[in-house]
Amino acid sequence: MINLYNVSKRLGDFRLKNINLSVNENEYFVILGPTGTGKTVILEIIAGMYQPDKGEVWINQRNVSKIFPESRNIGFVYQDYMLFPHLNVRENIIFALKLKNTPRNIMKQKLEQMASLLNIAGLLKRYPSTLSGGEQQRVALARALVTEPEVLLLDEPLSALDPRSKELLQQELKNIHEQIKTTTIHITHDFNEALLLADRMGIMQNGEIIQVGSPEEVFQKPQSQFVAEFVGMENIYSGEIMEDRGDHYVSIASVSLRVVSPLRGKVRVAIRPEDIIITREKFPSSAQNTVNARIIHIIPRGSLYKVVLDAGITITALVTRQALEELNLELGQNVWAVFKTTAVHVF
Amino acid sequence: MKHNHTFEAINKLPPAKNSRVLNNGLFQGLIILIILILFTFFFSALANIVWKGMAVLVQSIASPEIQFAIRLSLFTSITSTLICILFALPVAYGLERFRIPGRKLISVILDIPISLPPLVSGIALLLLFGTTEFGAVLAEHGLRFVFSVNGIILAQFFIITPYMIRVLKSTIADINPRLEFVARTLGCSQWQAFYKITLPLAKNGIIAGLVISWARAIGEFGCALMVAGATRMVTETLPVALFLNMSVGNLEMAMASATCLIVISLISLFIFEMVGVRQIPASRIS
Repeated sequence: MINLYNVSKRLGDFRLKNINLSVNENEYFVILGPTGTGKTVILEIIAGMYQPDKGEVWINQRNVSKIFPESRNIGFVYQDYMLFPHLNVRENIIFALKLKNTPRNIMKQKLEQMASLLNIAGLLKRYPSTLSGGEQQRVALARALVTEPEVLLLDEPLSALDPRSKELLQQELKNIHEQIKTTTIHITHDFNEALLLADRMGIMQNGEIIQVGSPEEVFQKPQSQFVAEFVGMENIYSGEIMEDRGDHYVSIASVSLRVVSPLRGKVRVAIRPEDIIITREKFPSSAQNTVNARIIHIIPRGSLYKVVLDAGITITALVTRQALEELNLELGQNVWAVFKTTAVHVF
Repeated sequence: MKHNHTFEAINKLPPAKNSRVLNNGLFQGLIILIILILFTFFFSALANIVWKGMAVLVQSIASPEIQFAIRLSLFTSITSTLICILFALPVAYGLERFRIPGRKLISVILDIPISLPPLVSGIALLLLFGTTEFGAVLAEHGLRFVFSVNGIILAQFFIITPYMIRVLKSTIADINPRLEFVARTLGCSQWQAFYKITLPLAKNGIIAGLVISWARAIGEFGCALMVAGATRMVTETLPVALFLNMSVGNLEMAMASATCLIVISLISLFIFEMVGVRQIPASRIS
């Protein structure tokens, strides 16, 4: 369990502002935010590289704010691995065990255990500079995990890897966490990574954590425009909530959408592109919002197509290639954009 | 995806820097001529002295005076270099890693002997140790520097330490401090992180620093002359031997000393180049 209470830190021009954070026992917590928002500094404060200007760091009910890093029982993995270049893989992994004068047989056993957990048994005699990024990161993970740390801190561990290794190691991180359950904080700027790995996540902006919740909560109910944009909400508008015979509508330019929200007055509205259905004909459904629109762009995006609609406001929807072909969608066509009341997020 | 391939193709085009076709013949010829002139000048100056010294070298080196000078030079230069690294390593590490207030100013002052004429350094040391209470107290306790072998070591130390600090500072700056930090999360104390991580990674830099400082120490003349004087068979290092023999017209002995110094320079340059090239990769800050 990791708790930060009112942690502030100033480093040159950069400021970490009043961070309050609580990560539960065995939780995989992801801090998500764009580069340069101070995510690494949070980890380095937890690990003891910096002392916070204000506030306290607690690990498993122990105030570690003034304790040296070597006494905090932490595993730390950097984006650029930070393997000791003068030691081979084996020596890197057993580095911590040797320091503690671990008996040879236990050392050997733990080394083998880590090597098989991370699939690096074949690399033990190699030097870090001869390894690929993915291999180096496995070694770095092994080196951190072999000490059985109370908490594992991962600073963008996958960001420097090629897409294939990244995907592989993502899955492995998930499996490893299921096996050993170490309380983990993982930092990333990749929303999909967060979505896959996180039990809960925090979004960071300008040295502050602005939203904490499960990935679904953050994904579905972004609490600010920054979060919405960052997690991939493409349809973001300004509007005003109106009431009409007990139902609430938000009017955006000429379009009026039905919403469920306690908010009143001027609001911001977000709709996920994948929540929007495109139909050729208007037909009755449980979806309460049906907007007539004209197709102005069809843009391939990976396996999906981004269909941009003009309905007085610009609406972006995501459809599969199959749907595009079956519906015979073409530029300039008039179609219906259909989505549920709950797909309209206001904040 | 298509776009990526196009970019890759452009990046893979061969660089144009070595294509001879684009070089202006006259321009290139002129540059090569200048290189040749300078090389010939340096080479002939050194080769001449070694060539002429060779004939009487064995005989001169066997003489008690040159033997004494070689031994004294080795003793003083090795001693001063070792004392130098004891100071230079912590100083370089501290100036590079800690936010010591006024560290810019400290760095500048520690660099001064590099740009100062050695004679000025010498007179400064002579006055500090010869005319002040501080020098007198040291002398009373058996540490006499003025006109003694200790003075040679002191002078060499004063001259070479700034070089050593410079080499070590740039070596330490090249080692990512996060390596030490990771070592600490793995259980190292600050001491252990230093000698288990930074020290081995700085090995080449330390060797380079030792070699270049030692070579400078052995050749040190002006500063040592002021502090320790030039007394035959007492404070007579190789450069002093060269100077004394030259001033009495004993050319063979002078050339023997010079040849010894040239050989020492060549060896140290060679070692310096060797360790300089084989840097450990991946220890740089990316």
